[in-house]
Amino acid sequence: MLEMDAKPKLNLPPPFDEAMRRHEGEILRFILRTSGDRDEALDLFQETWLRAYRSYRQLDSAEGLRPWLFRIASNLCLNRKRDRARRAKVIADVELHEEDAGAVWPMHDSALHLKSILRRLPNKQRQALVMRKLGGLDYGEIAAALGCSEEAARAGVYLAMKKLKAE
Amino acid sequence: MERNIESYFEDGADIPDETIEKLLRRARLRLAPALDRIRRPFARVAIIDSSIGRLLAAQSTRGLVALRFMDSEDTTDVLNAVRQRFDVFEDDAVAAEIGSEIERLMRGDTGAISARAVDLSLVESDFQRRALTRLRRVPAGSVISYQGLAAAIGLPSGQRAIGNTVASNPVPIYVPCHRVIRSDGSLGNYGGGPDRKLKLLRAEGFGVDRKQRVPADAVYGHWGSRIFCRPTCSAVRRAERRQWLIFADSERARRFGMHACKLCHPT
Repeated sequence: MLEMDAKPKLNLPPPFDEAMRRHEGEILRFILRTSGDRDEALDLFQETWLRAYRSYRQLDSAEGLRPWLFRIASNLCLNRKRDRARRAKVIADVELHEEDAGAVWPMHDSALHLKSILRRLPNKQRQALVMRKLGGLDYGEIAAALGCSEEAARAGVYLAMKKLKAE
Repeated sequence: MERNIESYFEDGADIPDETIEKLLRRARLRLAPALDRIRRPFARVAIIDSSIGRLLAAQSTRGLVALRFMDSEDTTDVLNAVRQRFDVFEDDAVAAEIGSEIERLMRGDTGAISARAVDLSLVESDFQRRALTRLRRVPAGSVISYQGLAAAIGLPSGQRAIGNTVASNPVPIYVPCHRVIRSDGSLGNYGGGPDRKLKLLRAEGFGVDRKQRVPADAVYGHWGSRIFCRPTCSAVRRAERRQWLIFADSERARRFGMHACKLCHPT
């Protein structure tokens, strides 16, 4: 070939099923961590992928996929939490005090402890921390997922860690 | 009290993989039918470097959905139109297939192009779909006027509608919109530029004269009766002439299975 410039790639995200295969594990883990209730997590998981499928055609790069999925999941988790908080006001905090009602997976003491302190963190810090430490996303990806700057993502993780250490 | 926080995030502290795997199996069972209800069909897309320029192609399971010259135009609109209706993914096999068919065309072999099915699901209306389907039957080596094509689908004064239809043809080359010319014998415009129109017509064996018009020795073939005439034949009344296929010479009309008129004896 005489042409020196390489053929441009379209840089489309992978087929949806491929995207699911690649990320369903970490998304479920993230949702379980954020929500803490198993049945609710399965619900949110389902909703995340349905929503992702519906707007998958608007996603225009392969790199954006992972933070985009996390963003959908985290928004759904937040919505759910907000709705539940609203409902909880009405039914006098009953649900909020049902400690670990849905936690049926075997957990170490340290994990139980982690869960309880994660719960007390502000949403953004918790999500940043979970994405960073349990999801293994880099700060750029977290920033894209949470819709904030990279510095804010870094600060969120840092503050969360500081709070955890103070516990 | 100072704790070793990092230890919380080691593998064991997190939800074990087996638990995730077990939950995933459950979640997949629920998710699959819900997804299937809203699923769109697949289309494979690719960028093709051909001798008539760079192209973007999209192929569904039913046929070629879209083809677009990529030189200066922004192709995101095509890609978005395809993605509205299809789940797309990049597949270089498409580039190889379509690319080789176009190269064969440029060497004069038109068989591969007409053999591939096209999927007109990006076409807006039934009228347009009908016009483009009909246009596919205009053979390589001939041309037709906008007016002629309009008449062929039963709308003798619909040349403007045909103009719009042909201009928005999602699958150029395969739906041969380059074979549609003006009634006055000039080539008219082309989505990929008039130069490409000329190049494609030449590759198919339709030569034009020095002024890039239909040559003087062109013959007019009637689609229905399979008879071809000189342009001056009394059988070809001026109004009707426009509804005929135009071949560059008698030889090409014969190759398409047409017979010479007994009145004007085209050579």
